Parts: sequence; C-alpha cells; structure tokens
Amino acid sequence: MLETLIFDYTIYAPLQIQNTLDYQLLSSEDIPHIIYNTPKPVSPLKIFFLPIKENVVRQPPAFRPGIIIGCPACDLQAIDILDKIYLNEPFTDTYYKQRRENTILIGTDCHSQLPHCHCTTYGTTPCPDKHADILLSAIDDELILVPKTEKGIQLTEQLKELSSPSEEILSRLRITRNTIEKELNKQNKELPNYPETGQLIKNSDNHIWKKYARTCVSCGACATICPTCTCFLLVDRPGFEKVRQMDACQLPGFARIAAGEDQLGNRSVRFKNRYLCKYVWKSENLNSIACTGCGRCIETCIGNINKNELFMEIKGNEIK
Amino acid sequence: MNETQNIYAPVKAKVDRIIDESPLIKTFVLIPEKAFTFKTGEFIELTLDGIGEAPFTPSSSPFDTHKLEVTVMRTGYVTDRLHQIRPGETVGIRGPFGRGYPLDEFFDKEVIILGGGCGFAPIRSLIYNLIAEKDKLRKVTLCYGAKTPEECIYKPFVAEVRNIDKFEVLRSVDHANESWGEREGVVTLLLDDITVDINNSVAVVCGPPIMMKFGTLKLIEKGFTEDKIYLSMEKNMSCGLGKCGHCMMGNVFVCKDGPVFCYSEIKDMTDIWT
Repeated sequence: MLETLIFDYTIYAPLQIQNTLDYQLLSSEDIPHIIYNTPKPVSPLKIFFLPIKENVVRQPPAFRPGIIIGCPACDLQAIDILDKIYLNEPFTDTYYKQRRENTILIGTDCHSQLPHCHCTTYGTTPCPDKHADILLSAIDDELILVPKTEKGIQLTEQLKELSSPSEEILSRLRITRNTIEKELNKQNKELPNYPETGQLIKNSDNHIWKKYARTCVSCGACATICPTCTCFLLVDRPGFEKVRQMDACQLPGFARIAAGEDQLGNRSVRFKNRYLCKYVWKSENLNSIACTGCGRCIETCIGNINKNELFMEIKGNEIK
Repeated sequence: MNETQNIYAPVKAKVDRIIDESPLIKTFVLIPEKAFTFKTGEFIELTLDGIGEAPFTPSSSPFDTHKLEVTVMRTGYVTDRLHQIRPGETVGIRGPFGRGYPLDEFFDKEVIILGGGCGFAPIRSLIYNLIAEKDKLRKVTLCYGAKTPEECIYKPFVAEVRNIDKFEVLRSVDHANESWGEREGVVTLLLDDITVDINNSVAVVCGPPIMMKFGTLKLIEKGFTEDKIYLSMEKNMSCGLGKCGHCMMGNVFVCKDGPVFCYSEIKDMTDIWT
C-alpha cells in the first residue's frame, strides 16, 4: 500500500543497516524491510524539523510533503516541547512551522525494549498517545492503522485496501502493549519519577556532579541526540543571512559573553546545568516533560555516563 | 518586536555618525530603513554583515523613531569589527527584545541610578525617558563611575542633565588626575554622599558584573528592599526570542524575561554575577 504514496510524499521509515536502526529515505524496494514496533531509530525525530544547519533568512525551498513512519512514543512526546518553543506566538519559527505542517507522523508502539528505555518512569507510555497523525502496529504480517488527526484520516482514506483487524489480532495487540509496559516498569523500578528527579537535582550537592562529570569530554553528544534539546547558534553569512545551527550547552563557550565571563565555564557546572534545564526549568516554563526517557544520551555517551545511575545515587544518598 | 515576517531577518540600518566617547567606547548613530521603535531598557541584536551579531541596549531616546544609537565598548570579536566600521556603511538590527524598565513603578518616587563604565548606555536612554516624565517623579540621582576621567562617557549629556531641575549627577573615578574635580574611588562610595527617602525610592543598576554585585549589596545595606532594585542583566543573548538557550539563567531567559529584572526575581539563582 505504501507504493502509491511514494510518488506524492517523501517518506522516511526505520530500516536496519548493519547494526544500526535508523530512519532512511524510503524507496519501493525498501518497503518489505521496514522495521515496525521496535525501539528506536538512532536519530531523534527532531532532525526532521530542526536540521543541523539551516539558512533561516533566505526563502526556503517549497517542502515536499513528508511522511515519517515509525516514530516512537518518546520522540512524539518530545514534539510537545519543540512546538512550545518554536511555534510560540508571536515569535513563530516559520521554517519549523512549515516542516511540521507538511509532515505526517506515523507513530508506532514499541513491542520490545532496550536496556536504557525508561519512558514509563516519566509518565509516557510505549504506545504513542499524542502528536501522531496515525498510529501503526504490525502483528504478524498485518498492519493496523488507526488515524488520530484530520491529516491522518485523509491519508488512511487513500489506502483503501486496508481491512479492519480481527478481534483476535486486537486482543494480541492489547496483551503485547500491557506486557511491554509491565516490563519497562520492572526494568526501572528503582528509578525516581520525573518530578522526584527534579527535586533530587535541586537539592543535590555539587560533589556528585563533579564525580559524574569526571569522564565528560564536553562533546555535546547527549544534547545532540536528545529529542528535546533544541538550543542553537545563529551563524552569520554575507547578505545579512543567518544559519540556525544546532548547538549544545555542554560545549565549552556556550554561555561565554564578550570580555570572557562564562557562567557555564566549569565542566561540572555545565553538566549539572543540562539536567536542571531538563528536569526543573523547562518543565516549570513550558509545562511539559523535557526528558522523555528514550535513553539515547546514555547509549551515546563516550564517557560512559549513565544519568539514571546518577539519579539513583543521589536518591540513595538522600535516604542515607 | 517591530513588525517583520521572519524573526531571524535583520532590518538594515545605515551608520550615520560615529561618536568617540572614550578610548574604548564609541556611539554609533544608526538610521534604520524603516521606523524602529523600542521601549527604554529593551535591547536589539546588531548584525555586522557576514561577521556576527551581538546584543546592545539602545542608548538613545525611545521617542526618536527615525534614529537609534548604540554605545559599544570594544571588547570582543563583533565589537572589535564594529569599531572599524565607517559612516555610510550598513548594519542590521533585529528587535527590540525583552522587557525594559517598568516606568510606571518609578512614578511619584525618587530614582537612584547606579551606573558603571559602558553600563551608562541603557541608563542614558532611561534618563531621556525620565526627563520627559519628570513631572511625575520626585527626583532622579545618577551615580556614575568609570576607571579614569578619560573613560567617563557622555560628557556633554552629563553637563546637560546637571542643568535640569530634579536631576542630579554624581561621578566617581577609580584613578583621578589633577583636573578631576569630582569623587575618587569605587562608584558605590557615591551612595554614601546622598540622602535618600528609602521608602519612596527605586534603584536601577547597570554596569559590569562586579559593580552590579557590590552596588546591589550596598543598596540593600542602605535599606532598599529587593523588589525595588532593578538590574539590567547581560548574558549571551543570541536569538532574542527565548529559543536558542544561550542566555538561560535558571528558569528565565534573559532575552525574553529580562534583560531588566527585579533583584528579588533572580537573587536565588546561581552565578547571576558572572
């Protein structure tokens, strides 16, 4: 059924290439190889709306309508905070807005988990409940599509050959969803929840941050791969043009001002700052969670820093 | 923010005149391509074509809509290039951004202004505004400090303000010379020279971080409450829109929620003085 859509849309879907599962531009030959319901593409969903570099003054090219298949719940939850930052009136980022409006998001529920997945601890379920235009689940070879928005309804209407799933399939889907949620809760039963983590960070002393920041090399990978981190730098180009380039508070010099003052000049201060931003400040300001529990920052860290171990240690120290 | 279709695109402005204020500080008089309005204390982003962008609070009167002045100390990459610019060249401006001085809060009060070095820039704009509203004010006292007499900026402006009823200007320099007839020492010393009706006063502080810190502490020592001290904060404001994250200070964006803050709003945050 997807073949018909390839002519009208630019489609990305998760494909396994060697050891990596990531969104790839879809061709008709790839369709049978799409990986459904498996956590999670290496790239966070934000890359489709906030490219690494984008000239934000020059008139943008007309975007071809896009479909992104296989968005996991953690990344869809992250769209919440992106929208609040980039669509807020009156300072709407028209480049972000055009991409959002031109893209249909097909969310998939996770039927398995990775070692660092912890969405349920922060109140997100592994089955997307927001920002997906369509919810897709694959059981055996059967695809179940449930439209969630007007955009989603219009697209599913184009896919006429879809039949309604049997009660047996739906029941199996419910069981799978319940099982994965239980598994995730079990895997993370020691981990403090989102508001509790915020409190722990606020009350923690600097000693523990110094300890965990020891192996941080300020590469910024955690922020780059985070689905909710969206800080950027405006780089000037001749002709009064500006390039919005993704930036990270973990990179040295992020907060440096003329004459050299730098409130984030110290590495462990920078390190703690990111978690204060994620668990305290953003949630206060935007009324949304700024960590969706995807676990990518843990997987990507070359200094082997596991933020969840850090939080559990803070919690343990507090109990002592 | 002035009307624009693209939040990142600057409005072009011609450099009309450049005034040497001190060896390191110049004032650039800009004529924007279209009328550009701002409220005193709000800031703009000034673009040097292809080079970079930096935040400045206009130092001119908010009532001038056809011209805009920014006073800039040469201290970094962008400001170094800006000091090399010549009249007739074109720069870009975006904004204005943020929250300026809450003038309504100043009415029927004494206003004590503490300024240091190039921190006089936003203050000059504020004073222009206060002069226009002077019937509603009890008194305005500016305490200004610089390193040397040579580095005191806006000398003609100071002379002018000293002739205005209800306005007083006290100055101090860290290192005086023979011809300096005013105070010598740090700027906070000037606060010892004035009598203030504390309960009917507000204070405004703008200057380098170290001066803002000790100035604020001194005002509190004199009896000012934390909610009557207004600080003009400086961080790495880049986008001006509360998006890019560079000026985040605790849970506030200096660009959007400031740059003018009540001390009571930010006193518990770490590193506000760096």
